Amino acid sequence: MSPDALVGRGTRQLPVIAWLVLIWVLLWGSFSWANVLSGLVAAVVVTVAFPLPGVTEHARFRPLAVLSFLGFFLRDLAVSSVQVAWAAARPGPPVRSAVIVVELRTDSDLLLTLIAETLSLVPGSMVLDIDRMHRTMLVHVLPVTDEADVERQRADVLVVEERVVRAFGSSREIAALDGPDGPPAEAAADDAGRNR
Amino acid sequence: MTVLLLFHFGAGLVAPLLVRWWGRQAFLALALVPAAGLGWALSRLPTALDGGEVRERFPWVTALELEVVLRLDALALVFAALVTGVGALVLVYCSRYVEPGDEDTGRLAGQLTAFAGAMLGLVLADDVFLLYVFWELTTVFSYLLIGGSGAKVAGRRAAGQALILTTAGGLAMLVGLIMLAQASGSTLLSEIVADPGSGAMVVTGTVLVLLGALTKSAMVPFHFWLPAAMQAPTPVSAYLHAAAMVKAGIYLVARLAPGLADVPGWRAVVLGVGVTTMLVGGYRALRQHDLKLLLAFGTVSQLGFVLTLVGAGSAAVGAAGLAMVLAHGLFKSTLFLSVGVIDHATGTRDMRELSGMGRRLPVVTAAAVLASASMAGLPPFIGFVGKEAAFTALWDGALPDRTAATVVLVGIVVGSVFTVAYTARFLWGAFARKPGLPDTAPADLEHEPGPLFLTAPVVLALVGLAGGLAASSLDPLVAAYAETLPQLLPEPEHLALWHGLTPALGLSALTLAAGVALFLARAPVQRLQRRVAVPASADTGYWNVLQGLDRTAVVVTGTTQRGSLPVYLGVILVTVLALPGGLLLARGSWPAEWRLWDNPLQAVTGALVLVAAVLAVRIHQRLAAAVVVGLTGYGLAVLFVLHGAPDLALTQVLIETVTLVAFVLVLRKLPLEIGGHAGPRVRWSRGAVAAGVGVFMGLASAVALAAREARPVSAEYSELAEEAHGKNIVNVTLVDIRAWDTFGELSVVLVAATGVASLVFLRGRAGAVAQAEPEERQRAPRGRRAPRRDWLAASSTLAPRRRSLVLEVVTRLLFHAILVLSVFLLFAGHNAPGGGFAGGLVAGLALVLRYLAGGRYELGAAAPVDPGVLLGLGLLLAGGTGVVGLALGAEVLETAYFEATVPVLGHVTLVTALFFDIGVYLVVVGLVLDVLRSLGAELDRQEEEGEDEDPAEAEVIAR
Repeated sequence: MSPDALVGRGTRQLPVIAWLVLIWVLLWGSFSWANVLSGLVAAVVVTVAFPLPGVTEHARFRPLAVLSFLGFFLRDLAVSSVQVAWAAARPGPPVRSAVIVVELRTDSDLLLTLIAETLSLVPGSMVLDIDRMHRTMLVHVLPVTDEADVERQRADVLVVEERVVRAFGSSREIAALDGPDGPPAEAAADDAGRNR
Repeated sequence: MTVLLLFHFGAGLVAPLLVRWWGRQAFLALALVPAAGLGWALSRLPTALDGGEVRERFPWVTALELEVVLRLDALALVFAALVTGVGALVLVYCSRYVEPGDEDTGRLAGQLTAFAGAMLGLVLADDVFLLYVFWELTTVFSYLLIGGSGAKVAGRRAAGQALILTTAGGLAMLVGLIMLAQASGSTLLSEIVADPGSGAMVVTGTVLVLLGALTKSAMVPFHFWLPAAMQAPTPVSAYLHAAAMVKAGIYLVARLAPGLADVPGWRAVVLGVGVTTMLVGGYRALRQHDLKLLLAFGTVSQLGFVLTLVGAGSAAVGAAGLAMVLAHGLFKSTLFLSVGVIDHATGTRDMRELSGMGRRLPVVTAAAVLASASMAGLPPFIGFVGKEAAFTALWDGALPDRTAATVVLVGIVVGSVFTVAYTARFLWGAFARKPGLPDTAPADLEHEPGPLFLTAPVVLALVGLAGGLAASSLDPLVAAYAETLPQLLPEPEHLALWHGLTPALGLSALTLAAGVALFLARAPVQRLQRRVAVPASADTGYWNVLQGLDRTAVVVTGTTQRGSLPVYLGVILVTVLALPGGLLLARGSWPAEWRLWDNPLQAVTGALVLVAAVLAVRIHQRLAAAVVVGLTGYGLAVLFVLHGAPDLALTQVLIETVTLVAFVLVLRKLPLEIGGHAGPRVRWSRGAVAAGVGVFMGLASAVALAAREARPVSAEYSELAEEAHGKNIVNVTLVDIRAWDTFGELSVVLVAATGVASLVFLRGRAGAVAQAEPEERQRAPRGRRAPRRDWLAASSTLAPRRRSLVLEVVTRLLFHAILVLSVFLLFAGHNAPGGGFAGGLVAGLALVLRYLAGGRYELGAAAPVDPGVLLGLGLLLAGGTGVVGLALGAEVLETAYFEATVPVLGHVTLVTALFFDIGVYLVVVGLVLDVLRSLGAELDRQEEEGEDEDPAEAEVIAR
């Protein structure tokens, strides 16, 4: 990141500033012009005093898809919580878990991060490592009893990926979901099925 | 008088500025300050001659009943004239003594001027505590002036020695002054002298005060600091160590003699020490080759002489003493200044190297000859007048005890013989052309002394001559003081140049002849001196004592501080259990009713905390142990919430997090496992002590809570908070009601942060965290885990294995939001949970995030400031708020309050406490940044560069 890239990027920071003003108003808990204006001042001061590269990349915001993503996310949260709680509390031998390698189709820092965060927030799945170069994630999942479970979990991860990409991804990213141009073949061959 | 003193100190403050503007000419302007003092003192001469006095009095610290009481009477006037007159001339002399390019000129100018003020204050003060303050001020300035820039070891040692000795004496004097004030019932010197009271208190107090006077005036056995102090520049020696500061002890003795001379022990101490000092100083002066050292020992000798006279408690002797005070101030500073000129011109003060200077520097030589004549007691100089008066008085037996008078007379006659001898030696050594020694220096002198350079010695020498010629007109002034002393002779004596053919004249002739003989026989005398010289001296004794003290300190520290943290902690905790714990069991009044919890959740939280505590003892991995200890802290935060204290809980959580981060940063440098020397028995006993302390603390708080009888102060806090226009009582307490406490804590934080940094930064001084150089930005390969593009400013410099896609992206997304949260907490704190402390911690955590995600260069990019600047700025802002409050007419740190209705924004209120809070905020951010910089970035750097972490010993000392 050269210093030149840090300056003169005012317009690209607009979404960030809007986001910060929203946080500010929410923190104060009431909407008033005084709050909005002071929030604007705070946001501009903070972003100017601590410059960072722009965020938006080529991300989009598709309201319907976002709503759908949030809905599914909340449902997963509830269902998995019950499942994991039961798995932890039920009588019998300890739950078996697995670490699976999932090969993703998206190729964006931001989206990969969002996917990883979503997976980690839902109980029962936890991202251990991300290989950015090969677009693969190492995910710890539970409960797992047999190979079929592994495949089911892998599919679940890919479903999460699809929801995130459809909510926030660019049209190229969405196209990549269905497209054949996946990750390099040898990496996929190496990692496929590496589980325990 | 007060204005005059303030004038001096103000001039001292601006002196460095003047020197920057005008160079060394600034001294000429500064000389006007003491000159004004001299003019003022002389204008009060008629009052003093009538035996009257000028007084000023006003309250100073009313809470301690301290007052500023100044008065000018005959005695004070003599000293004040000496101090201001010599001070002005020395400043003029300085304007040519220093070279235009000298570095320390501003410091010298400021300290000399301020010293003149302190000295003037000392002789004018009538209140003993005010006197003491000025007394110690002169000590401090003397320390600074002797030490100079601190570059020379000898200078530092001499300065430290003078400081230790005179301060030790000063402390004894303070105790003595308090005792005298108690005994007489007044803190005013004039009233103590008028009615000192009686009893053991007075005797002890007198002895202690004398101790202070004796150290200050370099009396045996404390005399050795004065020759060592000759490390100071010559004008300083001339002023402080001849005319002014060393006269402080003389002044005090002269001041107290009218009232205390008859206290048992006074005369024995004063006369004994005085005469001894006169002899020892004179004898040692005969052996010196350095002109300045010769004069220094001569000063010691003369001070002994003067002390003997002014402390004798007799009108006739005291009058002689006061004349000698003037005489000595005049001739000794002339001689010092002359030596300065010689030193300046030739670069040496060693009489074995100087030859033929008399013809080369005729004006200086003339001045020095005049002053020497006064010193040796030749007519018609003032030195002769003083000495004649002393001889006459003692010959006539002007002491209560005839034998004592005779012994003292013999002592000072012998001392005067020495004086004549070393005076001759000085003149010969400085100016004579010595056979077998080539003329010093090249044909044209390095520095031809100009008229301004010569003004001071010449004027002082001429005043010495005039004082002698006009002795009878000096008499009324001296008599005005002498009248306050016991009149032990049938009729008062008068100062005069010619008394006729008296026994005293005979004694003068005798001393002169014997002294000259002693000088002429200098070769055999010196051989004899060398043969009988004892290897021990008071000076080596002093250093031996200091060394012994150091050694004892090392031994004590080495035996008690073994460096084992478990032992330290164990001792502290066992003491807690034994003393307050025992007291609790024995005397505690147990609560009548026990309530285990208000809310079952408290019990649950408590149980979790207990589990964490037990785990902390059992876990062997450091990192895990730190996390578990952190859990107990978070549990405490939950308890705060349950108790309805969200503000405390917020702070606790933040603090716990920052602490955890600091722990982790440090622990990564330590072995993974906790060292396993301790066997099970040791572990069990440690566990027992820990559990015991825990139980004790719980019981103690229960007992303390139940024991309340008085109405809690906090009952009024809600009203007070409203008064301060805040709804958050915790915050209002911090920034308003108990702002002083907060201010003190901020200072502690600052010290702690500096301490941490100094432990880690072994090399060089700390500054801002380093930023990445362009080449370093490209250095590291990306690796598999790194994000494709740059999300942070400098994370690309990280090693590939340390990079993390999620951490970098999330940091980018959250960093600004966290900062906004911290700003919100800062502003909301006055009315809602939050405040500068919490806000600062949140901002600090944002920086922690940046550092963890992007490494040390990321930290440098995120906060390109020196944490010290933040800390200092924060403290300044907090303190400044207090001062502003004062300026607005409120109490220090009291909150002021503005409100207004602004279009669009609506009702706006501004509380000055906000600025105090911003100060707190800055200090906390500075602290976190300092910890990150030291324990994070600097340790990273040392590891990366494989730096040897043990700096050379010399470096440690240099720091």
